Amino acid sequence: MRTIQHSQAGSAGLTTRALLLGALVFFSVASALAQNLPDVTAMSVEDLMNVQVTSVSKRSQKLADAAAAIFVITQEDIRRSGAASIPEALRMVPGVQVARIDENKWAISARGFNGRFANKLLVLIDGRSVYTPLFSGVYWNIQDVMLEDVERIEVIRGPGATLWGANAVNGVINIITKASKSTQSALAAAGGGTETRGSGSVRYGGRLNQGTYYRAYAKYFNVGPSIDPSTGRRANDNWDALRGGFRTDWTSPGADSLTVQGDIHRSGYGETLTVPSLNTPYSSTFPNQGSISGGNLLGRWNHAFANSSTSLQMYYDHTSITENSLFTDHQDIFDIDFQHTFHASGSQDLVWGLGYRSSHDGNNSSSVVSLQPNQLTLNQFSAFAQDEISLFDKRLRITLGSKFEHNGFTGFEVQPNARLLWTITRNQSVWTAVSRAARTPALTEEGLRLNSAVVPPGTPQNPTPLPALISVFGSRQFKSEDLLAYEAGYRVQVTSNFSTDIAVFYNHYTHLRTAEPGAPFLEISPTPVHIVAPFFAGNKMGGGTYGAELFADWRVLPKWRLLSSYSYLQMDIRKDRASLDPTADNPGLVSPRHQFYVRSSIDLPKHFEYDLDVRYTDRLPGLNIPSYSSVDTHFGWRPTAGLEFSVGSQNLLNKRHLEFLPDFINTSPTEIRRTFYGSVTWRFE
Amino acid sequence: MRRLGLLITVAMVILPSLVFEAHAQDSSVSSEYLIKAGFIYNFANLVQWPANAFTQPDSPIVIGILGEDPFGTVLDRVLAGKKVNGRIFLVKRLKSVTDLKECHIVFVSSSEMAHLAEAIHLVKGMPILTIGEIPGFARRGGIINLVLEDNKVHFEVNVEAAKEADLNISSRLLALARIVQEPAADGKKTE
Repeated sequence: MRTIQHSQAGSAGLTTRALLLGALVFFSVASALAQNLPDVTAMSVEDLMNVQVTSVSKRSQKLADAAAAIFVITQEDIRRSGAASIPEALRMVPGVQVARIDENKWAISARGFNGRFANKLLVLIDGRSVYTPLFSGVYWNIQDVMLEDVERIEVIRGPGATLWGANAVNGVINIITKASKSTQSALAAAGGGTETRGSGSVRYGGRLNQGTYYRAYAKYFNVGPSIDPSTGRRANDNWDALRGGFRTDWTSPGADSLTVQGDIHRSGYGETLTVPSLNTPYSSTFPNQGSISGGNLLGRWNHAFANSSTSLQMYYDHTSITENSLFTDHQDIFDIDFQHTFHASGSQDLVWGLGYRSSHDGNNSSSVVSLQPNQLTLNQFSAFAQDEISLFDKRLRITLGSKFEHNGFTGFEVQPNARLLWTITRNQSVWTAVSRAARTPALTEEGLRLNSAVVPPGTPQNPTPLPALISVFGSRQFKSEDLLAYEAGYRVQVTSNFSTDIAVFYNHYTHLRTAEPGAPFLEISPTPVHIVAPFFAGNKMGGGTYGAELFADWRVLPKWRLLSSYSYLQMDIRKDRASLDPTADNPGLVSPRHQFYVRSSIDLPKHFEYDLDVRYTDRLPGLNIPSYSSVDTHFGWRPTAGLEFSVGSQNLLNKRHLEFLPDFINTSPTEIRRTFYGSVTWRFE
Repeated sequence: MRRLGLLITVAMVILPSLVFEAHAQDSSVSSEYLIKAGFIYNFANLVQWPANAFTQPDSPIVIGILGEDPFGTVLDRVLAGKKVNGRIFLVKRLKSVTDLKECHIVFVSSSEMAHLAEAIHLVKGMPILTIGEIPGFARRGGIINLVLEDNKVHFEVNVEAAKEADLNISSRLLALARIVQEPAADGKKTE
């Protein structure tokens, strides 16, 4: 029987192949049912405690409780996807747009408004916000952790401002690493491939005394250059990074626990930069280098009382960025947060908190970018309270809360939300929420000058005899961007091996950023004398976005799991009648309308694993980027509990393709290649 | 080039499936609930019930599953034909709370998260070993809580709750457990 199937596979067409695949599924089911289970009753408790298990319930347990569109990436998801970085891991999340601009730059957003400087997504690593006050976005090329030590990544689409504060507008990403108690082994990993030329990491975990655990790690990688689509040759977007860090967790015999953790990092990256020039040929393009270094230290103290708990968290974060020919910037952020959760009565749970954040920025400008003032300290105070009321035997939960925040640019921001979760039956629930969120101004939106291009003299666009310099300016009048979001969702565990959830939203935005033209003026320095055509940051755009995100998790067989998602996004954003911004147009044109994702994870015999990721991303008409499909594969083998070999490939379908284009800073985009990689991970006591 | 890519993809989808089918028979199921079933068997072996918990010396050990059954057929198959102290196992899916009192072990499914206090209250004082898989289960009065950490199953034991249920847990089991207590109502420091 089996030999006949093999010969068919060799010669048959697609239909036969599909039939064959169907037959295989059937036989797999049949054989799995007939299969004898290993005798676990012969195993001791010690043996059982040492068995690695594949969990089915983790995701749904977390999900069932939230009145928000939440998606959890587990450690297993990261490992099986073969993702080598946080952005790559985020590609599996419904409703999130991930696109690579070059090897070291990403555009990542949730529910639209994507770009390298996307500014409506809040990202936290172990409670530390990595959102830069410089442009209200995230430097994705410095956000990294030891991926093996990640416990989970929680992604919340939609506003999370009541709990997390301003800037948690379209989503919140929470990267949570394991407690050091769960990383009590040594780990060494090394890998390489056609994209990441080499990577290596080591981690050691140990116990200091009863109740005190620690770990320390170091990690390095070197990514080789991609392809420049304009020349078809090697681009200049190489990237390397070195980082190290530690975490200690102490649990008292009483009710206290203390976590102290920190990291230091340094990375260097390349790009091809085009800057305007006042002399012919009015722009120059050259290979450029940048480097980023920094460090952070965080402490968190939790105390549990009989009916309540408190948490006090403090951190300091330093980042230095030197992008040659553009600017240097040094940021020092100090943040302190206090939170108190208590069970107020039979049906009410309250949480309130206070926060203070101080960010200092010092920068040096260039002929292209300058920021005023050169030195600035921003103080931000916040308070929040939220009440969760359970009614009807906890089947109905109402959450009401608000954040009150004061910042130096726009003063007070009030960000309330109301959420409702109804557990219809044990297996299904619906939720709905209304919330307001604000995206407060970034330093650049207040005090930037960016010289973006020169229009040569004597051309139709510039008939004058002087070169015209197009410059973008920040504005002291720039206000917060506002969002009022309406969301709803439904989750159902159809059978013990099939669950699905759907979330829909309507977001109404006001005061979105525009670039309003000002009166041209003459500038004599730098020479030659030129006209400046200024554009000032304004708030004259608004409108609605709506969409739906579907996710399904189907454990077809005990050893075969299919995850799939579909995201739909429609954006109808228009500038106000008063706006004169010639560039403001529907930003929806840079976010894909349709996205599909399917992952198949198969556990093969002899501890082999095989994973296949298929993605479809709709075209981006605003960037003239066609739709693309991509296929990633991952083959893993774990011959012993401590040893793991992986080989895989990414973007198998296309030799190379373009995913996104840069904005503001004119670096050359590069094409994503078909890549192959291999790695080995060794865990030992 | 695209065609070649597609062919490689199709081949990579189909080949492992063939291997998978061919070897499915000799592979081991290492799912979470198989291991948890092994734990339940071991717990039955290492916990001593008071004499009045059983009507006959060979009365079966009755395991009730409260809430949505995560085991499928695994628990029944693991325990089929197995005996502890001459007693066979009987696995029941509990339909009503009145079925509770004939159980010796109650597995509280994670679907019962919202009704946890109620479930624990119902069996309070009865010689029933409650096993859960809900964060804080043992701290909230359950006896044994199965916890996943690093993809391995660990367990917490609430010794006080076991005493109240008149169950004697072997020291061998306690040595491997994480001992937890319910937070004291008067705000006293807790373990």
